Amino acid sequence: MNAPSAVIRVEKLQKTYVLGFFRKKVRAVEDVSLHVERGEIFGLLGPNGAGKTTTIKCLFGLVRPTSGKAELLGMPASDIRGKRRVGYLPEAPYFYDYLTAREFLVFIGELCDLSRKKAHARAAELLERVDLKDAADMAMRRYSKGMLQRVGVAQALIHDPEVVVLDEPLSGLDPLGRKQLRELISELRAEGKTVMISSHILSDVELLADRVAILVRGRTAATGRLDALLDTRVMSTEVVFSAAEDKLEVLRGALDGLGLASEQHGETFALSFDGDDKTDAVVDVLRAHDAHVISVTPRKESLEDVVVRRAQAPSDTDDAAKDEAKAKDEPKDEAKAKDEAKDEPKDEPS
Amino acid sequence: MRKILVIALNTFREAARNKVLYSLLFFAVVVIVGSLAFGSLSVRDERRLMLDLGLGGMSIFSVVIAIFIGVNLLYKELERKTVYTLIPKPIHRFQFVLGKFAGLVLTLVLQILVMALTLFVVVKLKEEHVGKALMMMTVLVFLEVLVVTAIAVLFSSFSTPFLSGFFTAGLFLLGRSVPDLRAVAGKLGGEQPVLATLLDSISRVVPNLRYFYVSGTEVSGQHVSVSGVFVDWTYVGSAALYALLYVSLLLILAVGLFSRRDFV
Ligand SMILES: Nc1ncnc2c1ncn2[C@@H]1O[C@H](COP(=O)(O)OP(=O)(O)OP(=O)(O)O)[C@@H](O)[C@H]1O
Ligand SMILES: [Mg+2]
Repeated sequence: MNAPSAVIRVEKLQKTYVLGFFRKKVRAVEDVSLHVERGEIFGLLGPNGAGKTTTIKCLFGLVRPTSGKAELLGMPASDIRGKRRVGYLPEAPYFYDYLTAREFLVFIGELCDLSRKKAHARAAELLERVDLKDAADMAMRRYSKGMLQRVGVAQALIHDPEVVVLDEPLSGLDPLGRKQLRELISELRAEGKTVMISSHILSDVELLADRVAILVRGRTAATGRLDALLDTRVMSTEVVFSAAEDKLEVLRGALDGLGLASEQHGETFALSFDGDDKTDAVVDVLRAHDAHVISVTPRKESLEDVVVRRAQAPSDTDDAAKDEAKAKDEPKDEAKAKDEAKDEPKDEPS
Repeated sequence: MRKILVIALNTFREAARNKVLYSLLFFAVVVIVGSLAFGSLSVRDERRLMLDLGLGGMSIFSVVIAIFIGVNLLYKELERKTVYTLIPKPIHRFQFVLGKFAGLVLTLVLQILVMALTLFVVVKLKEEHVGKALMMMTVLVFLEVLVVTAIAVLFSSFSTPFLSGFFTAGLFLLGRSVPDLRAVAGKLGGEQPVLATLLDSISRVVPNLRYFYVSGTEVSGQHVSVSGVFVDWTYVGSAALYALLYVSLLLILAVGLFSRRDFV
């Protein structure tokens, strides 16, 4: 599975932070393996504290792995030749507040082996691209969080890298900014670049990523194509309707016969049930009692459900391989796990 | 080499935009001018003393500024996490440390030049003929600041600014007292051998900063002063060699520590 063309490769990565005087150990990453192929957009998903940032830091040599491998373009993190061809946006970036965005980008460009002239040209181009042209010559001390995030994206792209790794790129951006950045990432894909984005906001990645890895408590809980990881069946169905006052009693009795109870929300009523096999029966009952069906909404599993499900299931790295191959073939017991998952609070695992 | 320069220039730019630094420099200039103005009121011998005071002011302020920016500018990169953006770029960590150091040195050179120029101008106005001695003294002050900055960079490559500043200042004071430490160790030799050995070892490990501040002290049994007999360029040359050796050693250590560290 680890094809030689992999642009980013992480194998059995483990990172333990040793903290303070008492050498307290924190296992940030326990066992993460993943690979990103050339030209892909890859999503690194997981709840807060899952180890996404730590994994990325290992890739860029900011921290040393305790064991295992983290390679960019087939080279270890310390290799300058690899770094020349990759761009990186750190999480919640903070830059020199005494510089303007333009000065900063030129500085970074020069560090990336661009000539001064070329660095200036690239800086101007990217400032335009991330929509910061108007603030380009203002000290970054005066920037908002979203503006800093944009500078961060620009500096990651300054040397036109083949591989771009963005840690939480959409955080801090307004809706327009998010849209622009999504477009930018799509453009990068069109240019043949490889992009890895991390996020705990699943819808961000859902729209962009070809493949994802889901990290839970420092382990790869699953990797693969999104549609293979998502259960395509309907998880539950919600029906909203309104009914005449006088028919309500009888209608309630009829629904009771189906084992369903409705909740009143002002003028309307709502009920929901697992799966979608009762839909026809429910609609028939409603129509028979002159009720007005306002909506029938099937709810499919979202990425969020997958993460919650994985976060709560005991971690099992073999899942990863299994999932890629036959996620669609064995939905039975996963559906059960899913139902349990729904009732639990969606906290991060500790 | 170009990357070291790029980082150095950026560090310099940071310092140049730091208001605290201007206030320190302004204060230093005021003190230098002030101490010399006092000199004009006094008799000849006291005037010499005042010249030494002006020099002392320049020396102390240079060291204070060196500790201040040495500790601050490197630590800020870690504290503000700007280093997270730099380390993943195609640079070696040693280039980062050396670039920072070079930028600090560049800043300090300019600061010292401003102070030295003030001193020269005031001295000239009073028609004293101490040009050459002052020039040598300026070079010596610069060499001392080089060593102090390297110490500050070494400490801040693994410690917090407060501790780094504390340790650097401590080492500076110890370094300035090396001959005294040795003298005390010599006297104590018979009675308290343990303490004597300790003091003696300390005096051998810390840089002997007395090499760089000679005005008003004894050099090889002779009293030297910028306003009297002074050391020659050979002495300054050997002091420079000593400083360079020390600085190289400190920077190698700093690079070693910095390269090993995790940026968490
Ligand atoms: N500097 C540090 N020292 C000690 N432990 C750390 C440090 N940084 C992270 N950790 C621990 O490592 C684990 C993984 O953290 P990491 O930042 O990689 O998570 P993440 O997946 O990026 O989370 P988020 O979505 O919140 O950014 C967490 O449990 C965290 O407590
Ligand atoms: Mg993170």
